Amino acid sequence: MTKRKGLGFYLRIYGKILTQDIKSKMSYRADFIISTIGMIFTNLAGFISFWILFRNFPSINGWGYYEMLFLYGFSLIALTPVQCLFDNNWSLRMYVYSGDFIKYCFRPINLFFYYQSEIFDIKGLGQLAFGIGTLVYSWAKLELDVTFLAIVKTIVFLFTASLVMIALQNAAAATCFWIQNSFFVLDLVLKFKDYAKYPITIFSPVFKFIFTFIIPIAFIAYYPSLVILRPDEIPILSWISPLIGMLFFFLSYKFWMFGATRYSGTGS
Amino acid sequence: MSPIIEIKNVTKEFKVLNRHEGLKGSIRDLFSRDYNIVTAVDNISMTVEQGEIVGYLGPNGAGKSTTIKMMTGVLQPTSGEILVSGNIPYKNRAKNAQEIGVVFGQRSQLWWALPLIESFRLLKDIYQISDKDYDDMMALYSSLVDIEPLLHKPVRQMSLGQRTLSDILAAFLHNPKIVFLDEPTIGLDVSMKAKIRTLIHALNKEKNTTVILTTHDMGDVDALCRRIVIIDKGKMLYDNDIEHLKGFFGSYRTLKLRIDGTPEENAEVIRKEVGEFSVSCDNEWISILVDEDKAKIMDVLASLQTKHEIRDIKLEEISTEEVIKKIYEEGVC
Repeated sequence: MTKRKGLGFYLRIYGKILTQDIKSKMSYRADFIISTIGMIFTNLAGFISFWILFRNFPSINGWGYYEMLFLYGFSLIALTPVQCLFDNNWSLRMYVYSGDFIKYCFRPINLFFYYQSEIFDIKGLGQLAFGIGTLVYSWAKLELDVTFLAIVKTIVFLFTASLVMIALQNAAAATCFWIQNSFFVLDLVLKFKDYAKYPITIFSPVFKFIFTFIIPIAFIAYYPSLVILRPDEIPILSWISPLIGMLFFFLSYKFWMFGATRYSGTGS
Repeated sequence: MSPIIEIKNVTKEFKVLNRHEGLKGSIRDLFSRDYNIVTAVDNISMTVEQGEIVGYLGPNGAGKSTTIKMMTGVLQPTSGEILVSGNIPYKNRAKNAQEIGVVFGQRSQLWWALPLIESFRLLKDIYQISDKDYDDMMALYSSLVDIEPLLHKPVRQMSLGQRTLSDILAAFLHNPKIVFLDEPTIGLDVSMKAKIRTLIHALNKEKNTTVILTTHDMGDVDALCRRIVIIDKGKMLYDNDIEHLKGFFGSYRTLKLRIDGTPEENAEVIRKEVGEFSVSCDNEWISILVDEDKAKIMDVLASLQTKHEIRDIKLEEISTEEVIKKIYEEGVC
């Protein structure tokens, strides 16, 4: 009879679906090459504007060039999972609007998992490579210690930081279960993402509060980075940032699933 | 043995916002608490035994899809009880999904970009089908349909017919106890329809799978169903053998005529001439619903021909919609 569906089951299925998806994407060669080139230029442009900014201002609010670069790299990596693994959130409103969302409801597996597993956005991998390059480079320039503990810390904080953005996007996408045009909500969240790479101290107190407690993008790079960058003065918010990531992800998952069960589909 | 599907006094109501016209109306709607309760399914009860093929009929908007969504666990009934293979569908959607297969309307559930065989392999993992069961099923499939050319074709490149066929095969793959087919032959050509009917029939025979079939095509019903259930406006009108119903509507046919002059005036004249039969018209055709127990269609035509200049004729079997309309208006004899 049906076995219990644990983590192993889901990981195996996920691996298989991803392999198939990547295989089929590669088969559209022109598509694949163009989107890869596009991705490289997007990252280069982001990088160049960052570089120009710092040629004119040697430091921002006490943050030096390499420290900012570190934040930049950190945010690029932390934003990779949302790009690669949760990109189907962008199509959610179309599926819901057309009634096609119902097709996800007939499988004996977790609805959220099944929906998100369908798309793997390969473009994100380039961003990941850029991010890792930037992070390693600035790490070396800042002459930070390379210890086992530092690396583990970085990985854990990167992982949990990525959950923050995933959570924001889940929640934004799930609004489509209630409102017809949820695109602007998603778009708004995407725009906020751009502020994640700056130290929160440069914003006014109002925005500092918003970016910490309401739309918590400060947890994508700033707070977790402090643990590595400024080990002498780590605020409590930095230490709890992994919890924040997990909590927000859990809440957004619940919200998404709640919306999905509320969904009734259009007639056919 | 207890029935595979038990539906007891099930009602489903939707809350629908009363919308107002115009921009001003839309703004009002934003804050409005003015809801209408729409009853999509109204106190329906039925039981289905393992291995039955039930034709579930009704006009558009009758509540068919809503009923199926409740049986598949997508919707929760407002009141009443549903048991599908011992499960309460909405309480345990995933467990219920293991026991059922669904082909819903025109919406393919297969992975769009993948060749069919890869979709099947993913389904094998998702439904945890054993190697032996999988191989047996694939052997059965290739004995029933020419599956080989489909297997390596991405779903998005398939014709509608091939896609429907693939979707049906995918729905039966994990050997579910029940398969829900929502208008499986819609938009297909005659030979594909026949192929699909044969396939459904064979799978039902071979695996004793219960099939709930909704359709507007009486051909599907004739080929597959012994029992039909008709609902309209959420209410159950009929639940019995098809033979019983056939005796009721089989003798009706629609004679359509195109005659010089304005259809309305002609219809008026013809209405007097044919007396007992109902006559209607659109902007081109005049339709006469002839009860062949009372008069032969040829006789009606012959007598009209002497009085009118007939340009064109059509003969139509009575459609499901018309049967249902008749049942709704007159009840079942």
